[in-house]
Amino acid sequence: MSGASNPVMNIDPSQEDQAKLAEFEQKIADGLLIEQGDWMPEAYRVGMLRMAEHHANSEIIGALPEGEWITRAPSLRRKLGLTAKVQDEVGHGQMLYRVSQDLGKPRDEMLRDLCTGKTKYHNCFNYPAPTWGDIAMIQWLIDGAAIMNQKTLADGAFGPYVRTMHRINMEEAFHFKSGEDMVLTLMSGTKSQKAMTQEAFDRWWGPSVMFFGPHDKPGCKDLPPMKWRMKTETNDSLRQRFVDRFAPAAIDLGLVIHICEKDDEGMVTSKRVDEQCVEDKETGHWGFTDPDWDEFFRVIRGNGPCNAHRLALRRFSYEQGAWVRHAIASGSTSLPPAA
Amino acid sequence: MTNAMDMMLNDLEALLVLKLADDKLFLGHIQSDWTGLGPILEEDIASSSMAQDDLSHALVLYEYLGSRFSIDPDVLAYERLPSQYLCCDLVTVPDDFDWAKALIRRWFFAHYAAPVLDQLALFNDSDLVERCRRLRAEESLHISYLNDWMQRLSSGSKEAIVRLQNAIDFMSDDARMLFELPGMILNVDRPSFDGREELFNEWSSSTHEILSTTNLKTNITLPTTTVKGGRNGVHADHFIAQLTEMNEVRCKDPGAAW
Repeated sequence: MSGASNPVMNIDPSQEDQAKLAEFEQKIADGLLIEQGDWMPEAYRVGMLRMAEHHANSEIIGALPEGEWITRAPSLRRKLGLTAKVQDEVGHGQMLYRVSQDLGKPRDEMLRDLCTGKTKYHNCFNYPAPTWGDIAMIQWLIDGAAIMNQKTLADGAFGPYVRTMHRINMEEAFHFKSGEDMVLTLMSGTKSQKAMTQEAFDRWWGPSVMFFGPHDKPGCKDLPPMKWRMKTETNDSLRQRFVDRFAPAAIDLGLVIHICEKDDEGMVTSKRVDEQCVEDKETGHWGFTDPDWDEFFRVIRGNGPCNAHRLALRRFSYEQGAWVRHAIASGSTSLPPAA
Repeated sequence: MTNAMDMMLNDLEALLVLKLADDKLFLGHIQSDWTGLGPILEEDIASSSMAQDDLSHALVLYEYLGSRFSIDPDVLAYERLPSQYLCCDLVTVPDDFDWAKALIRRWFFAHYAAPVLDQLALFNDSDLVERCRRLRAEESLHISYLNDWMQRLSSGSKEAIVRLQNAIDFMSDDARMLFELPGMILNVDRPSFDGREELFNEWSSSTHEILSTTNLKTNITLPTTTVKGGRNGVHADHFIAQLTEMNEVRCKDPGAAW
């Protein structure tokens, strides 16, 4: 996932068996998939593990902000839909942890590393969701961004991860539809519903534009993450595609795209219309003001509005469930899948 | 609407359906709060599915009542007065994010809901009967799954046994109130309500069958016919807290579409 520095860059491929490395790279160039039992450079295994683990962490942390709204969902169908959606995210985490386990790291170690902050998760989940409108925005904007990113990851080269992306993307499409329906309902509703939705949009537009990670470095397409098809598209091209898709959709719905200043709690303190967010008739692309990358790196370093809260809740869950995992592991009956 | 609601609340058969629908609503509501926080990812997913089943069962039963009395199912679920809800305290008592309490609550309730659905399926109403048959099949899966977890955990660690027994003790008073006699439907001559003792005996028998394979114990007796609780609309504070939380968004903009 974007936003995580990749250790693949720090492992020297020249230490690898060069004949095997050449064969591996030829397979990738031929568009073949690398499977679990295949030879792969250590840098590739470590990089894919890092990527899948970060993605898995993001799924189960991403379940938390929406999960907090299940009990407040305003109709039975929304309640059912949101519960199923959050459950899907946990399911995505489970699938991705299985991919990661096969790459050599036990699940419990991954969960512990997440709880202790040793490993990271996606930045966007460190922002607050103070209203029902935020839940609509997460499902619309964040899931919309996730689909765009994950569709390209499904064109990658590591078979287990690619197949998992295909499965996840099918479910994400439902989440996006649900989000679109929620935003449409709210923007067709009462004055206060529209105001709530605009405020939520103001909170989530910036994190959505940052979703794809910082600007690409020159020559990134020739470096291992893209050369080995761990990822297949640059951060900046994905970001442009996102803005091209969602800026006009937001405006059609009656939303205004703002540049926002926020306080330490992630709440908007001032805003002005983003004058750059207009379509270039020649290129067909939409302009946008570059997001606040200082904020991005501040949040990545753990100083976002909700980093501490999210990790504390994840840790609470891990610690509360320890006795269950222990009982199952030491019981006389057959085990459920390993914790 | 008030007339329709009054008509429903004065209809014996409707109240028996409503009682189960309200139980299911709040059980699904409180259990769904565990989604994303379960002790094992696989169990997190499974328990969330069961919470969704319970919420769906509530919806199916509210839709039945809604079609009979021309009331929107969401109005039934969200917009009644607290005293018009007939759920028992077992389904709203906080579990303090203690998995043992959450498990025991669901296990007690599943063993109750199955025979209640069997009773409702005896009504002379093909629509209701068909709905209850569908729900009953899922309830059987809940029972099987929860029985399995009771046996797995109680054959695990000493800590698990202590936690489960503490949870049983904590939930027992509320569990017996599953069988509270609803004051609004005292016509015990009706076949649909003749079976309170039989229902309790069936519940006791099926739960003890599992407990007998463990080191766990219960001592739950049928409440007297005079005791008043959730089935009579007399709810504990935690019910009000759950209802308030459930209504938080909906109440902000009454009448709005969501």
